[in-house]
Amino acid sequence: MSKLYTFLKYFFITFWTVFVVAPFLWAVSTSFKDFQSVNSKVTYIPWLDFEPTLEGWRVLIKSPAKGGVDIVEPYFNSIFVTCTASLISIVLGTLAAYALSRFTFKAGFVRNNDITFFFISQRIMPPIVLSIPFFIFLSTIGLLDSLLGLVVVYIVLLMPIAVWIMVDFFNRVPKELDETALIDGCNPYQAFYKVVLPNSIPGLIVAGMFCIIFGWIDFFFAFILTFTEVQLLPVKVVALNSSITPWWSLSASALVSVAPLIIVAFIVERYLSKGNLSGALK
Amino acid sequence: MEEQMAKIDLSNISHTYNPLDPKPTYALNPFSMTWENGKRYAILGPSGCGKTTMLNIVSGLVRPSKGEILFDETPVTDLKTEDRNIAQVFQFPVIYNTMTVYDNLAFPLRCREFTKEKIEERVKAVSDTLNLSSFLNSPARKLTADQKQLISLGRGLVREDVAAVLMDEPLTVIDPDLKFRLRRNLKEINEQYKTTLVYVTHDQNEAMTFAENIIVMDQGEIVQVGLPKDLFEKPKTTFVGYFIGSPAMNIFHSTVSSDHEVKINDTTIKTNSNLGNLKDKNVKLGIRSEFIELVEKEKSNTVKIKLTRVEDFGNFKLLTGKMGDLVIKSKVEREKPIPDGELNLYFPPEKCCVYSDEKLV
Repeated sequence: MSKLYTFLKYFFITFWTVFVVAPFLWAVSTSFKDFQSVNSKVTYIPWLDFEPTLEGWRVLIKSPAKGGVDIVEPYFNSIFVTCTASLISIVLGTLAAYALSRFTFKAGFVRNNDITFFFISQRIMPPIVLSIPFFIFLSTIGLLDSLLGLVVVYIVLLMPIAVWIMVDFFNRVPKELDETALIDGCNPYQAFYKVVLPNSIPGLIVAGMFCIIFGWIDFFFAFILTFTEVQLLPVKVVALNSSITPWWSLSASALVSVAPLIIVAFIVERYLSKGNLSGALK
Repeated sequence: MEEQMAKIDLSNISHTYNPLDPKPTYALNPFSMTWENGKRYAILGPSGCGKTTMLNIVSGLVRPSKGEILFDETPVTDLKTEDRNIAQVFQFPVIYNTMTVYDNLAFPLRCREFTKEKIEERVKAVSDTLNLSSFLNSPARKLTADQKQLISLGRGLVREDVAAVLMDEPLTVIDPDLKFRLRRNLKEINEQYKTTLVYVTHDQNEAMTFAENIIVMDQGEIVQVGLPKDLFEKPKTTFVGYFIGSPAMNIFHSTVSSDHEVKINDTTIKTNSNLGNLKDKNVKLGIRSEFIELVEKEKSNTVKIKLTRVEDFGNFKLLTGKMGDLVIKSKVEREKPIPDGELNLYFPPEKCCVYSDEKLV
């Protein structure tokens, strides 16, 4: 019985690992192929099955005039928009969350929980519902097809995540901590940034991670709200596709665009495994 | 920084947590009280009686619905917590997880911009008192619960100039051995630095051994303020009688039969209270089990009981007996022989307390 269990366990773990990792490996392999190796027959292993070439990667940094696609600019656009929007969302979201956690708001029938839900409801709505208002809004204020416009929209998308995570986090920080800081002579602002905030770093890291992931992978709004002036990475990657699908450069660009998230995941994972998240509270 | 030890006056304070309610329930009913500089006070009462609210009002975490707080005759009611010179220790350890033990202890002084030398000197003194010296450089979150509570306590004691150190059941998480030592330490600190200490507890032994003055509270009301001896011998209400002492005070329904006498189940008991204007009224007679004497022969002021239980507590025996349906408890010396069956118990008149409407006559 237990042998069967062990067998099944390892079987499923192996199966799942292959299921997750195989597409990556295939993308890595494909990114080094040329037209011939992709279209003639199924091949897997470089040098053995096919002769590897860097053409798929070179295209990504070549300017369009020389027949390349140049994802460098969209790449940095994406980094800029994601980081700026995440940073602002975290700052504003954390302040909002602290207020929602520590003060009682009352406006008609609206209470703290309703306000928190209002934030989250932004994420419950299908993005398509928001697309037209956003489009009209950005075109009215003249920020359509601009980095700043995207940052504004992404803040709207990311702040609910930050608020949601941080409200929950602050609720688990005992209010006696703030009170102790006041008694020890801090004013409320000092109590927040000297005592409560340092205690909340694990929460900030988790919130930051989610913001970065959701900002980085967004295709929909980047696609709808930009045209020619500004392009973000996900849109550019999709735009690579043409009448002849360039599998090699598609694979290469897909790998490049996943890379930052893998780096973020490793940093956060290391932080989480140090036990700082669970041990942050008594 | 100027010396800030202060006399604390609470004048006509009352507090409700739902002031907008047309009929608010009061967590604290109106009261006035003065805490003298350098004394030790214990606030004693069951859970939810308003003890913590009172502390929070003094420290400024809660603004009283009515009334005024004065430190040395200066009103501080509208002063924010951080501007009052008060230290408060909560029931469960509150520490700054991200800092070392040293930084935790130094934090209140740093917030108030003390010099580096002064901070070092105070942190050293306090950490010596609290046995924390060997941990000063470890991260505070790595310590055990009772060590963490010592840090909380230390942060309260590190400022010599505080008006008062308020402690809200601070020793709950600390093991009994250390508890005893810490209480003594606190007493020493009080005697040495003349820091006013206010100690909230629901444990009467803790209150009695710690404080010079005990404030007994019940349901938002201050029922008695006094020395441990007063609370024990002359409880002002039946509540204090029940609450203080172990076992609780014996309290019997009785009727006033003459100016100084009451009747319980046809037995007349003489008291030292003046009951002239309570003739034929229903009152309660209270007497501590410590004061009831076991006597051999029936005489005046004795009651006959049927012994139902004898418990040996080592240093004394606790007799439980019945007179009709009344239960009477009496503490007697361990060596004293206990006859079987019926016993005569003597109620010394000077130790009998008579309560009318639950209040001492």
